[in-house]
Amino acid sequence: MNTWIKVARYHLLKRFDYLVLPWAWTAFAFAVDLVIFAMVPVSHSYHQVLTAHGIAQVASPPSPRDAGGLGAIVAVYFALGVLSIARGLPFAFALGLSRRSYYAGTALLGVALAVANGLAITALQAIERATGGWGESVHIFRIPYILDGPWYLTWLTSAVALALLFGWGMWYGIVYRRWSLPGTVTLTAVQVTVLVAAALAITWSHAWAGAGHFFTALSAAGLTGLLAALAAALLAGGYATIRRVTV
Amino acid sequence: MTAAITVTGLTRRYRGKLTLDQVSVGFEAGAITGLLGRNGAGKTTLLRIIAGQEFASDGSVRVFGDSPAENDRILRRMVFVREDQAYPEFKVGDALRAASWFYPNWSGELADGLMADFALPRNQAVKKLSRGMRSALGIVIGLAARAEVTLLDEPYAGLDAVATQLFYDRLLADYAEHPRTILLSTHQVDEAAGLLERVVVMDQGRVVLDAATDDLRGTATRVSGPALAVAEFTARRQVWDRRRMGSQESAVVVGPLGETDRGPARNPRLTLEPVSLQELVRYVGTRPAPDNLQRTTA
Repeated sequence: MNTWIKVARYHLLKRFDYLVLPWAWTAFAFAVDLVIFAMVPVSHSYHQVLTAHGIAQVASPPSPRDAGGLGAIVAVYFALGVLSIARGLPFAFALGLSRRSYYAGTALLGVALAVANGLAITALQAIERATGGWGESVHIFRIPYILDGPWYLTWLTSAVALALLFGWGMWYGIVYRRWSLPGTVTLTAVQVTVLVAAALAITWSHAWAGAGHFFTALSAAGLTGLLAALAAALLAGGYATIRRVTV
Repeated sequence: MTAAITVTGLTRRYRGKLTLDQVSVGFEAGAITGLLGRNGAGKTTLLRIIAGQEFASDGSVRVFGDSPAENDRILRRMVFVREDQAYPEFKVGDALRAASWFYPNWSGELADGLMADFALPRNQAVKKLSRGMRSALGIVIGLAARAEVTLLDEPYAGLDAVATQLFYDRLLADYAEHPRTILLSTHQVDEAAGLLERVVVMDQGRVVLDAATDDLRGTATRVSGPALAVAEFTARRQVWDRRRMGSQESAVVVGPLGETDRGPARNPRLTLEPVSLQELVRYVGTRPAPDNLQRTTA
């Protein structure tokens, strides 16, 4: 355990990359979102109401504007996962670290950062709600259905999603270390193939209605559980791949 | 001898090519052993497997009695410095800081001294260092770690002659105070000869010589003089190399020389000179070693 923490510290020698960069990038995306939405007028829809004085036009509340700026931090997380392995592994080997310790320590860092940054996203979401979408009805830290529930669910879901991205990136980093570019291309192809095969299987068994029902019935908590299971599978896959890696 | 590292039947195949071919050798605890041989002889592969970075196709490696592969307890007692070490995007100081966390015997004092010796700038990015400076950084880490097993794979690559000598001096000085098991893979045999207690010579994935350096002194002698006299001297002796220029000849004979060979009885027109370790290694690496040198374990 002590070694795992040392591995996490080893990564954090690049403090800027792990602590500042995700938020610098998010702040940039946030600013871009606000500037763009400030230029676009808030759209109001009207509906007609029959009153005693005749027909009146009544404005509905402004419709929310989903910005997607949170995608920035997600992308940085994937990149950090890749770099944590691709960049850090050779020297860690020279320092007498086993693959197991290095992997565990790196995953520990990824999860800890995901939990901390999930909390930050939760806080920003609270501010976003309190300020009426930063005064512009903009939804940056709220994503309909996925990240729109109570604060603890926002925290949990965003932490799991970030950890998932980090783990996914780690796996790519390991595959790159072991099989270089052909390996990463193959890994991508395998993932796409799995998705296509799943779609074909659903089509052939005429199960689209069932699949649709599954996803519409899935609660945000259920989705978080699904993401957590996927993250665990990615971490297991990464561990299986790193066990024979050489530098 | 007590072996810190025991290698048994170690074989490494890579795409049908044998990089290591049934290597069995022991490395003495608390000694500096030179791992010598030409490029591609298998030195680096052997070191990498000992350090747990590479996997064996067959055979085994034991360090302090245990397999080093994925074994944290053993790995943290070892440091491996290789000439082509890749670093993260660290500054020199960060690389040292990281190393200091993982080695229980790390000496900050020694690291500082070596940094000053090699004039290594702490705030410089490692990737901006010249090849020689990067080697110097590897040397600082390798020595300051004071790891019980120190594996140095041509650690001086790109260093100038002064810095190389500095490395040998510092290595010897710190080794005298803090004995440990050191494996030094090197091409510069004669420069390192003074500090090697044993040499292991590899060629084409095999160990062709394993001997104490002291035993090697006087094992081969170069005899030169008139061709006739040289022929007389070398009769009934094993000869490694024979060169002729006109009426003059020079030959390298194997085996210790007796009193009669050296004494006044010998032909005064013959010159005898000991063959250096470097030449010895070259001869051993290119032909079957003489019987008295094979697999000697003192």
